[in-house]
Amino acid sequence: MAALFANRNERLATRRLLLVGLGATAAILAAATHGRAEEDPIFRIEFKDGVVTPLRLEVPAKRRFKLELHNLGQTPAEFESRELRKEKVLAPGTSSTLVIRTLDPGEYEFFDDFHLDAPPAVLVAK
Amino acid sequence: MSTQFGNVAFIIWRESVEALLVIGILNAWLASQREIASRGRIFLWAGVATGLLVAVGLGVIFIAFGEAISDEAQQGYQTGAVLVAAALIIQMVFWMRRHGCTLKRELETSLQDAAARSSWWTVFILALVAVAREGSETVVFLFGTLAAIQHASLAGIIVAIIVGFALALATYYVLQLGSRVLSWRVFFGVTEVMLLLLAASLLVTGVENLGALGVLPTLSGRLWDSSAILPDSGPVGGLLAALTGYRARPNLMNVLVYALYWGVIFWTLFWPRPKISMART
Repeated sequence: MAALFANRNERLATRRLLLVGLGATAAILAAATHGRAEEDPIFRIEFKDGVVTPLRLEVPAKRRFKLELHNLGQTPAEFESRELRKEKVLAPGTSSTLVIRTLDPGEYEFFDDFHLDAPPAVLVAK
Repeated sequence: MSTQFGNVAFIIWRESVEALLVIGILNAWLASQREIASRGRIFLWAGVATGLLVAVGLGVIFIAFGEAISDEAQQGYQTGAVLVAAALIIQMVFWMRRHGCTLKRELETSLQDAAARSSWWTVFILALVAVAREGSETVVFLFGTLAAIQHASLAGIIVAIIVGFALALATYYVLQLGSRVLSWRVFFGVTEVMLLLLAASLLVTGVENLGALGVLPTLSGRLWDSSAILPDSGPVGGLLAALTGYRARPNLMNVLVYALYWGVIFWTLFWPRPKISMART
């Protein structure tokens, strides 16, 4: 490799990277949007020691909504969905809320990460 | 039961594999640099130890106050962690490449200067972030899985957990072995690409999180759906997604970020540069 020029090139490369990083940050700030304060529909999901209810939940596509998670069981539960990029630990007897900003029409699997032997459930965005 | 056994072992292994890649490669790299190995290793393993402490702390917070932490705060933390990890991994690749090219003569002379010292802190922070991020997830998962099981399957789950950790350790040793068996050039070439892929994956995850937080637009819906051929979840697909940033149903933002990332990496690391010479111009 170009050992002789490594240092100079590295400095150049670092500067380039820095530039790209700064540009990206600026773009993020410019593109930042804020959630509007309209009423979001709320959907309820219950966890009970590995049993998820409902197993199939219809939600609206292309709009903000909330998921209200309740753990009614005696053991902890974790709502997890890779595609929704959400995870939430729920101690027994507690509840929590997730905000989903927008979903394309389609199916999104979610499951209780602490009860992997249970079948996965699905959100259906329409 | 048997699927759960496999799942538990696999998740433990997968949660550790990203951190192990980073630590394993750094350790192998440091071992090859005899003059600086001991000093570097102190920073590396101090980072790992601190990371473990932070992981347990974070894990306990998520378990004890999980439902009370706002969804956005948690996702904000995760986003920050993956993006910092991505940036540090990229920086490490640059650093390793710089010192991989120049020979030990330069390493000896640069040992004391500020740049070298700041590099050690990068090693420390990188190990810390990698271990803390993945470790906290493992702590939460272990706690939840153990708390949730029926008494009958307790032994099975514990064996699964041990198998998962054993697989993780085995992966680490394969990396160390690789660094000894392969030539330095081959080992570095391969692991450099693995690290760059891992950074790409973290970057894609971070940008997706920013999308979920409403900070960045997703720009489009699903551009295509290749999940029938290769899903990005499940044992194989999930691992591929974690290690390369593969998405079966990407949106335009995913694709742009991925393309831009590799464009920049190629430009800064692999673009064949004309040999710069002031005298000749």
